[in-house]
Amino acid sequence: MAEEGPRRRERLARGVKVRSDTIYAVSSWKEMMFLLGPRLALIFGLLILPIALSGYWQSVVCITGVYALLTLGFDFLANFLGLVCLGGALFTGVGGYISGILNSYYGVPIPVSMLIATVGGALICTILILPCLPLRGVYFAIVTFIYPLAAERLIASFDIWGGTDGIVGLSMLPNIWFNQYLILGVALGCCFGLRRLVNEDIGLVFRGVKDNDQAIRASGMSITWYKAQAVFIAALMGCFAGAYLAHRYGWTGMSLFAIDFSILPLAATVVGGAGTLAGPLLGSFILVPISEVLRAFGTLRIVFYAIVMVLFIVFWTEGLLNYFRRKYEEFEHWVRV
Amino acid sequence: MDLAIYGLINSLQLALIAIGFALVYGVSRLPNFAHGALYILTGFAAWSFLSGMGIPYLPAIILSLAITAGIGAAIYQVVLIRVRGMPVSEIIATYAIGLAALEFLRWAGFRGMTYTLPAFIEGSVTIAGVPVDLQRICIIGIGAGLVLILTLFTHHTRVGLALRAIAQDERAALMLGIDSDFTATIAMALGSALAGLAALVILPLGNITVKAGYDVLIFAIAVCVCGGLGSWVGAVLAAFIIGYAQIITVSYIAPHFHLVVALLAIIFILIFKPSGLFARQKELEERV
Amino acid sequence: MKRRGKLLIGGVVICLILGLVALPLMGVGCKKVEKAIVIGCPLSTAFLYGWDAEKAITLAVEEINAAGGVKVGKKKLPFKVEVMDTRDLEPGVPVSEALLVVEKLILEKKADFIMGGPVRSEAALAAMDLLSKHKKVSILTTGALTPKYHARVAEEYDKFKYCFRISGEAKWMVGGEIIPCLLKIGEKHDLNSLFIMVQDVAHARAGGGIIAKIMAKKGWNVIGKPEIYPTGTTDFSMGLLKARDEKAQVILIWMDMPETSILLKQWYDMKVPALPFGSIIAAAEQPGFWKATEGKGEYCLANVVNAGNAPCEATPWTMKFFEAYKERWGIEPEGYGTSSSYMAPYVLKDAIERAGSLDSDKVVAALEKTDLMGVYGRIRFDPKSHQVIPSIDPEKGAVGTIFQWQAGKRVVVFPPKIAAGEIKLPPWMK
Repeated sequence: MAEEGPRRRERLARGVKVRSDTIYAVSSWKEMMFLLGPRLALIFGLLILPIALSGYWQSVVCITGVYALLTLGFDFLANFLGLVCLGGALFTGVGGYISGILNSYYGVPIPVSMLIATVGGALICTILILPCLPLRGVYFAIVTFIYPLAAERLIASFDIWGGTDGIVGLSMLPNIWFNQYLILGVALGCCFGLRRLVNEDIGLVFRGVKDNDQAIRASGMSITWYKAQAVFIAALMGCFAGAYLAHRYGWTGMSLFAIDFSILPLAATVVGGAGTLAGPLLGSFILVPISEVLRAFGTLRIVFYAIVMVLFIVFWTEGLLNYFRRKYEEFEHWVRV
Repeated sequence: MDLAIYGLINSLQLALIAIGFALVYGVSRLPNFAHGALYILTGFAAWSFLSGMGIPYLPAIILSLAITAGIGAAIYQVVLIRVRGMPVSEIIATYAIGLAALEFLRWAGFRGMTYTLPAFIEGSVTIAGVPVDLQRICIIGIGAGLVLILTLFTHHTRVGLALRAIAQDERAALMLGIDSDFTATIAMALGSALAGLAALVILPLGNITVKAGYDVLIFAIAVCVCGGLGSWVGAVLAAFIIGYAQIITVSYIAPHFHLVVALLAIIFILIFKPSGLFARQKELEERV
Repeated sequence: MKRRGKLLIGGVVICLILGLVALPLMGVGCKKVEKAIVIGCPLSTAFLYGWDAEKAITLAVEEINAAGGVKVGKKKLPFKVEVMDTRDLEPGVPVSEALLVVEKLILEKKADFIMGGPVRSEAALAAMDLLSKHKKVSILTTGALTPKYHARVAEEYDKFKYCFRISGEAKWMVGGEIIPCLLKIGEKHDLNSLFIMVQDVAHARAGGGIIAKIMAKKGWNVIGKPEIYPTGTTDFSMGLLKARDEKAQVILIWMDMPETSILLKQWYDMKVPALPFGSIIAAAEQPGFWKATEGKGEYCLANVVNAGNAPCEATPWTMKFFEAYKERWGIEPEGYGTSSSYMAPYVLKDAIERAGSLDSDKVVAALEKTDLMGVYGRIRFDPKSHQVIPSIDPEKGAVGTIFQWQAGKRVVVFPPKIAAGEIKLPPWMK
């Protein structure tokens, strides 16, 4: 440090990053591993989890998978379309109830009822949210936040579908291994599928809807139509998560509309790194187990993740994944100004 | 007659609950989702001063309001100032702060029904054959008084005028040397104090529970959304609409639709008239 | 500032990761000092029906262990209580949370038996499938009043035979206690019109509906359908005005939420000329009720489901339990699940000793043959439905208790066998 004078840090992309952005990515193993490394780490990391964990933690894996799906949906809507949907609980509730009603009242076997719940539920949710699609920002957030609350109150008030007791005695999904790999597989599939989707042409339109919807309108495309498609995709995941949860424990009820399903995805997205899809997935795999560890402290764990959320939003908006990605792809050095 | 009197009381309760939220949003476009937590915090603070430390009633009230106002200002200065202009982050941050505060109170043992504030005046009177307790009469008085004072404050004091200026046209106000951060801090402090005041007036009717914090937030949002976010006149009018709607539902249909009315009101208003019933916002601005 | 914030968060994150890594190691580190019979209690500890059960179970287990523990075959083993918060009484918490806790107790804490909760009916019903999957004997001691619970055991005995309930349930409370008590009040004070306010939960709705039907048959004037209030309502004025305008003389309240104290305050402030009768009324059950309502709740009747939750002489054990609880926790028993939670470890101990093993099936068979004189009368389980057999005579079965608040005290007024006082009417009703 013999040099005097003011200095600043400069970030430069690593050579390997620049090379692997282009066709040269396939030029050598090094570049290919550079690209594949993080992705394979994620995939294998998640797939190893059930083997590495035992007993009760395997149940935690399942519930984390449910939250991961909701988080993916939230991140997709919030950071690619600018629709902040605080109604993840609506998706789980609708999915869980449809599957539960079909399975319990009409004896439909699980695979069929879950499929109907996923697709049909997503349709229903999309139709419900359709009228609010012209809204943005705070308004959309508020109205979607209210939906699950209203659904819960309505079910209780009219005393339908088992009322406050819920519907018990549904068929359950078979053993714990199937349970875990089903939800992990779906979560991973959705994560990579969505990443693919947002890099396609339609993904460009989605981003356009978020950044400049007037431009999209000027190009002769219907904003609402694209928003509806996106909501449908997010609802597919959410409804599947709900149906899965219903058959995981053989029970469905009002608490599938619980606020937790709306709030935790938000925290996970903030922590994991908004707008990266994989980040929020990781975020939920960090937050849910931590809150599980803190269970002994009762409601203090909610305080904890609320505080973590505030800290991240205020001091570290990019979130974990964006931060690590930067470290992975670029190096920093000091230059004299 | 029952309906008229209790509808009025219910409406003024809602107005009291919502006016702080409406003020903050109106002045600085900040959705203060910690509103419910501030409401309950004031209640517990007042309770601690009264029952825990034995401070007399009036100083306890003033103290707890000051504390709440301070917390409101602090929330802005420490957190919101950094995320201003990002509505989503504002919602998340304030909601998270509220969540943390409420759940901390729950963890700290404020649960059950033993936490109550004494009524201002004990006893009840009969108005036109309807028994009303004096605390509810106080709600009518304080609610109406507050609306009046706020109107005067925002029309005839420097700070109030600055608040309104910022609310109407931020850029012009900035040019005239009105400091946007300062007004926002004032607004948060005022809004929090108003939430606290609502708590001190309404809580003696029942008991202080953590859960009420969430309900208060929902009611505040319902009223403000229906009245048009950011317009406090609209909020007061909407409080009357929802308040009477609730009372009518409770007495003619069934009490368990009490909350459903508010929730459905939000959903329908937002779908059909996003800017609310009384707001004068332009088509483009609706798409916030 | 920004850097400091980052450091802060970095620190927090690193600590957490380290914690996560350390956890399994810690788990490996703690070796079991001695073998104990683990009782897992999934309770909603932030609420009355969670913490009172926790205190009662703890007290019973301490007493049992102090007396030498449980005799299993030739060995004597102590009980060990593992309480975990299910949060299931909190609104907005998914039932899957509670189920996860049950799983955690079984798989991680290696609970041999489940006791206490889950408390909310919804969660208790959902947990049954889980318990049968793991073949764990469970004794429900508080909270869930839904008749569906033991009906399910009776319907699918082989699947759900592991589930027992030692506390009362809605059907008997209505038919065996509330209706007779109401008729008694009616005869004594010449009252015959009833107004029903219930909470928006299944057992309350059903209970309120049945009471309305039966009382109408008995020649009472039942006003309106049961008025249903959502959990967490804080304003009951419209309902009370209706009761007043339509000349109700008894207001039946069935709500297990703390806001019921507000209801009684309003009742007093409006001077509604009707006797408040709580078939389940969370607030009025607690000793702290008098202070919380500044005495406005006087004359309110409350049903605490099982004797022993308010001072009375049902059996020799009743006051002994009452005093022991007061001494241990510095407060009188509070909620309707206290005495039943206290009895559960004793009943379990008795069954284990007779079965001579911890094997679930053997313990189930032994529990079915349970017959012991407990805090709230003779405790036996119906062999088909595993519901404790109720009665109004402590010599014959589990007795309930209805008391009235009189001058700051909880005075037991029903059943007649154990009553310590007479039902009084508020002065503005005469």
